[in-house]
Amino acid sequence: MLATWRNMNPLARREAAEGYISLLPWAIGFLVFTVMPVGASIVLGFTRWNIVEPPVWIGLDNYVRMFTADPMFWQALKVTGLFVLISLPLKLVLGLGLALLLNLKLPGMNFFRTVFYIPAVISGVAVSLMWMWLLQPDTGVVNTILYYMGIEGPGWFWDRNWALPSVALMSIWKVGGSAIIYLAGLQNIPAHLYEAAEIDGASRWRRFWRITLPLLTPTLFFQLVIELIDSFKIFTEAFVITQGGPLRSTYFYLLYFYETAFQNFNMGYASALAIVLMVIILSATVFVNYTSKRWVYYEAE
Amino acid sequence: MKLGRFSLFGLLAAVFLLTTLVVSAQDVVTIEWWTVNSEEFDEQVQRDLVEQFNAEHPDIQVNMTLLPASGFDERMTTTLGAGQGAPDVAFFWINNWLPQALDIEPYLEADPDLGPENYFENFWNTRAVWNDTVVGLPLGVGANFVIYNKDVFDAAGVEYPTADWTTEDYNALASQLADEETRTWGGDRPRGPYRAIWYNYGAKVYSDDSTTVDGYLNSPESVASYTWLWDLVNSGATPTPADLEILGTEGTGPIDLFIAGRLAMATLNQGHMLNLIDEGINFGIVPEPAAPGSELRHANAWSLTASIWKGTEHPQEAYEWLSYWAGPEGQQFLMENGNLIPSMPDVLATYENADTEYAQAFFEVLELPQVAQWDNAHPCKGSVMSAVSDAWDLVNLGEIERDEVQATLDSLVPVGQAALDECLTRLGG
Repeated sequence: MLATWRNMNPLARREAAEGYISLLPWAIGFLVFTVMPVGASIVLGFTRWNIVEPPVWIGLDNYVRMFTADPMFWQALKVTGLFVLISLPLKLVLGLGLALLLNLKLPGMNFFRTVFYIPAVISGVAVSLMWMWLLQPDTGVVNTILYYMGIEGPGWFWDRNWALPSVALMSIWKVGGSAIIYLAGLQNIPAHLYEAAEIDGASRWRRFWRITLPLLTPTLFFQLVIELIDSFKIFTEAFVITQGGPLRSTYFYLLYFYETAFQNFNMGYASALAIVLMVIILSATVFVNYTSKRWVYYEAE
Repeated sequence: MKLGRFSLFGLLAAVFLLTTLVVSAQDVVTIEWWTVNSEEFDEQVQRDLVEQFNAEHPDIQVNMTLLPASGFDERMTTTLGAGQGAPDVAFFWINNWLPQALDIEPYLEADPDLGPENYFENFWNTRAVWNDTVVGLPLGVGANFVIYNKDVFDAAGVEYPTADWTTEDYNALASQLADEETRTWGGDRPRGPYRAIWYNYGAKVYSDDSTTVDGYLNSPESVASYTWLWDLVNSGATPTPADLEILGTEGTGPIDLFIAGRLAMATLNQGHMLNLIDEGINFGIVPEPAAPGSELRHANAWSLTASIWKGTEHPQEAYEWLSYWAGPEGQQFLMENGNLIPSMPDVLATYENADTEYAQAFFEVLELPQVAQWDNAHPCKGSVMSAVSDAWDLVNLGEIERDEVQATLDSLVPVGQAALDECLTRLGG
């Protein structure tokens, strides 16, 4: 690097220096607000610490307890894993479906694009409260409509079998945000490919399967990674509506982390929990990235 | 020459004046005080109190910082943890902060005007004393009690409950008052186990010495408490958890349902009581019911611990402000200008509605033994309760039969014991 720097002419050096100076605010922010907290969490994961008194080094005890003697950890992991498995495919498929609809050349489409995007910008707490009202078993709008259709609605958030699907349903409602990203991907697909396929007599389904989907795979890959991380981080809905219940059916990992850190002030154990979640998310992302070589097609390839 | 002498004299006078001013300024000690806005004391009332104190104490200036309730907790936790930047005086309402509170016993002993005898004994024991040290002064009081709507009782031709009622009476009254046609419920259900009614049954989640769950969580007293709840839940006379969550108010109690006349009895607090007075509701107050055949009575009551930070550089001045704020002057001021219910019997006796029937009933609740007495001495209760919460959910959701209560509690003993053991290890035994 030093040799490169020496070989540069003064103008190139100046440009490079300006570039590094421009990067500096981000680099400092990344160091202070990301690297240092993660580093501190790794260290604190080996301690017992209640914040107001000095941490005590306990080696691997937190991790040993987590994997061998903490049923709450396994329950939180199970519930979160289930939520990811239910909500992630639904969000990807419905987001793409919505984007395909919003990509139709119809009058007033911008209005619909805006309407479907609105849920993505509303506060999570407000959305949670709204869904509580909608899904209230006795007086909620959804069950009232079902009642008039002759269907007895479920207990939704207050039924152990329905609570997790109810939270998944809520998360699907915000699918307009990802639809906008799919839409950008769809609009980048060259129109001449469709024209050529149409001249060759390709059906709508074949055009979708052979042109749209392959050329949309970079967007799908991006969405998969983002939604995967987002699904693991589910918290607000459980915190506001169910508090992890009933019978721990919505006891998500971050809710357990929150209770451990900010209600029981068990910061050492909470740090260990955070590190384990980071490893899980990182592993899942690396796996998705590894498989992407087989199914993601870039235009330049 | 004269002018020169005059100038020199003037210069000396100016230096003297400036020095005096600087010394005076240095003598004034500033006390940092963090607080929050609440229904009991809003921002303006607290600013007025500070102004009054500052005027009466020219050598101490209190600098009030008002924080939102959530931000207050975060800033207190982080500054106390960092060991710097914490306020001299503040509410220490999270028990985890109490190791960082100054022991004020020496200051109290030197204070001829203030001592434990000035406060309700129960609140002093639960909020001022921690680990045998005096960590603060209890400011204000609150309690839960059962409020009943006299109009709903009268319309149903049902006698009002009396202070010596039992849980069986509660369920019987609730069933008599519930009316499906008018969608009226008889009474609400507790918001958690091991609160007043559980203690009235003599039930505890684990042993007094914090070692054993077996024989406590699943004791005959615990089984009886949960069975009473089972009876209430299955009577149809109480709102479901979903109803309470949606139609209640911010988890503090179903005050809206009560005001609407759709709930005949509700376990509420003194803040709700003031709401009912404003709304012109015809109501009465009784303590939470005792177990059948038992004399035990407890109240779910609370107060706020006002403390001095251990790291303060001005402990004496901080004590001056603390004893003013949470002492008779401050509590009288906050009662008269806000809605504070004082933790000092002498001050409370001057409450403008002290002679009313509801105030007298409320004062009696304040004298009852408190749930917090056991809870504060047992910091692992929360962890164990969280681990065994399935029993509460199963009964509340109507998912077990009445004769399955014992087996359910038995099955949760190992989980509860594991949580207790872990908590004890974490807290250093």
